[in-house]
Amino acid sequence: MKPETRKKIDELFRHYPERRGALLPAIYLVQEEFGYVGPEAARELAEIFEIAPVAVWEVLTFYNMFYTEPQGRHHVYVCTNLPCSLRGARPLIRCLEERLGVHAGETTADGRITLGHEECLGSCGTAPVMRVDGVYHENLDLERALAIVDQLD
Amino acid sequence: MAQITIDGETYEVGDGLTILEALDQLGVLMNEVELPHYCWHPKLSVDGSCRLCQVEIEGVPKLQIACNTPVRDGMVIHTKSERVEQARRGVMELLLLNHPLDCPICDQAGECKLQDYAFDYGVKHARTDLPRRPAKKGFELGPTIVFDQERCILCRRCVRFCREVSQTGELGVFQRGERSLLETFPGAELDNPYSMNVADICPVGALTTKDFRFKVRVWFLDDVPSICNQCGRGCNINASRSNNRVYRFVPRRNDAVNQTWICDHGRMSYKGLTEGRCTEARVGSRRVNYDEAVSTAGDRLRSAIDAKRPIVVVASPFASNEDLFVLQRLIGDLGCEPGTFAIERGDSDALLIRADKCPNAEGARALGFLESDAAVGEAAIALVLGRVAPERLVNVETQVQLVSHEADISVSADVVLPVRSHAEYLGSFTNFERRAQRFSPFLEPCFEAWSFGDALTEIARAAKVLGWEQPFDVIRVSRELAQAVPAFAGLDLESLPAEGAPLR
Ligand code: SF4
Ligand code: SF4
Ligand code: FES
Ligand code: FES
Repeated sequence: MKPETRKKIDELFRHYPERRGALLPAIYLVQEEFGYVGPEAARELAEIFEIAPVAVWEVLTFYNMFYTEPQGRHHVYVCTNLPCSLRGARPLIRCLEERLGVHAGETTADGRITLGHEECLGSCGTAPVMRVDGVYHENLDLERALAIVDQLD
Repeated sequence: MAQITIDGETYEVGDGLTILEALDQLGVLMNEVELPHYCWHPKLSVDGSCRLCQVEIEGVPKLQIACNTPVRDGMVIHTKSERVEQARRGVMELLLLNHPLDCPICDQAGECKLQDYAFDYGVKHARTDLPRRPAKKGFELGPTIVFDQERCILCRRCVRFCREVSQTGELGVFQRGERSLLETFPGAELDNPYSMNVADICPVGALTTKDFRFKVRVWFLDDVPSICNQCGRGCNINASRSNNRVYRFVPRRNDAVNQTWICDHGRMSYKGLTEGRCTEARVGSRRVNYDEAVSTAGDRLRSAIDAKRPIVVVASPFASNEDLFVLQRLIGDLGCEPGTFAIERGDSDALLIRADKCPNAEGARALGFLESDAAVGEAAIALVLGRVAPERLVNVETQVQLVSHEADISVSADVVLPVRSHAEYLGSFTNFERRAQRFSPFLEPCFEAWSFGDALTEIARAAKVLGWEQPFDVIRVSRELAQAVPAFAGLDLESLPAEGAPLR
């Protein structure tokens, strides 16, 4: 990892009574740098935090927002919890799978897009919802969803 | 102290303990009080994850887990009420949802708590036909352990063992919720000197040792209590055997010695009990029968006595207290120099493994033998127990060596007498903390042979040493030892408790 990332992690330690408390924000920092946190980066974190590598891996795999494998340039996540599903999220994600030629959870061969399921985004009132690179798109229909995905480079 | 009542029985227990700890300390857990539990283990931290140990406590509205609920004075606990049993049925249904129920091909069958409680509390039919959680079957976690991921009930005992006991931390539970899976760090292995203990503590058939897997059904085995002889700790073990064959060593709990663990080296040492054994007596390079070897050794000893020439003995820290007592008495009767013994040393750690790679160095010391690896003085004859460095015997004319293994035979031995391994006779060792511990035979001697004490007695009888007319009888010898040596007072083989006792 870059010395800047390392410096930021050291800085984090000052805000927590226990080193270990800084693990989540530190993982975010590493993910910002590499786009994901693989075994090698996890080992490095374990060393910095003086904990077993498995302990880092447990945290990493527990949360949906951490990736242990390289992701696409764009992240497309479709909420498939109950309200969104009732409003058509399932056909929507199937349609996107078809267009992109991948299953949810996979990345297109050209590394352009990672498609995934998402748990409730807290926006059920405007279901169905999808999150593209952190931006919510609400009240979707198939056409709009495809258009949004198509214009990602 | 707190007074608690469980299913109508009243117990006095220590304050600050949890219900399960209190029952464990009283020694009633799973005996008088059959309280099912998976994740709790007496030597690991509390996890509280399996929920099987729920009990009803009067005055507390909800069921509580016994493994994480401290006792309170006057607490009234029910472990058999309908509410408790219903909770157990619920837990079992949940655990069995993802379990393959492949008992017919599972090594744990017969000693599996999941199987046992499925019989007691399981439902006959699943209420769902959804597919089971995808998981891997039978893959190696490391050099010693095979893992059936789909059988794992995620009790995390193995995880805690690796973090708290072996302190190597190889295992973790990854993912979350119903997708949780036990694994090692990507690309890493479960590999530490205590790794196979995880197979003992896994309550189901998820973790099995490569060595024991598919060898024999456990209901064909019977366990004989013994002591590991691979280092000075003297871990308590059970030897599981069937048809005069040992299939495995497993730890036998002894809180004063090895807790509930043994090291992998000690566990695998059962193989050495039958491999490479010395099975034939020799005089020079000639193979002879046992009687001839004994009478030759006796004759040589007699001539040395008659010629008033020096006799030396080399003791072994692998011999039992009783063997060494016989040897010490022979030394007294022959009037020879104090006997010596040498110790081979190796790696040690802070958990169990001791540097002295022998089971009875302290017993040898307590019986008056001196540790030395210097050459013994000039002598007409040396009586040698076990392996010896040849340089130690350069000043000796005739060497009589008593050995259990071929590899221990000294090149310069004149008379070789095969003896039993500690698997084949009754005796006691004294561990590094001066604790005497009994071991019992669990194998038939693989050929005609005696223990050290027996063979020494026979040689002395053949040499017509005064006072050595009676044959060896280990029980009688151990009583004499307890009377003659104050350190062993009251510690004869019949009085020694199963968990051993410190020397006086
Ligand atoms: S492998 Fe066994 S000990 Fe480890 S978590 Fe699974 S069931 Fe528990
Ligand atoms: S620690 Fe020593 S006594 Fe215990 S099992 Fe290992 S070798 Fe045997
Ligand atoms: S269920 Fe989709 S945003 Fe809540
Ligand atoms: S033994 Fe108490 S919750 Fe598992």
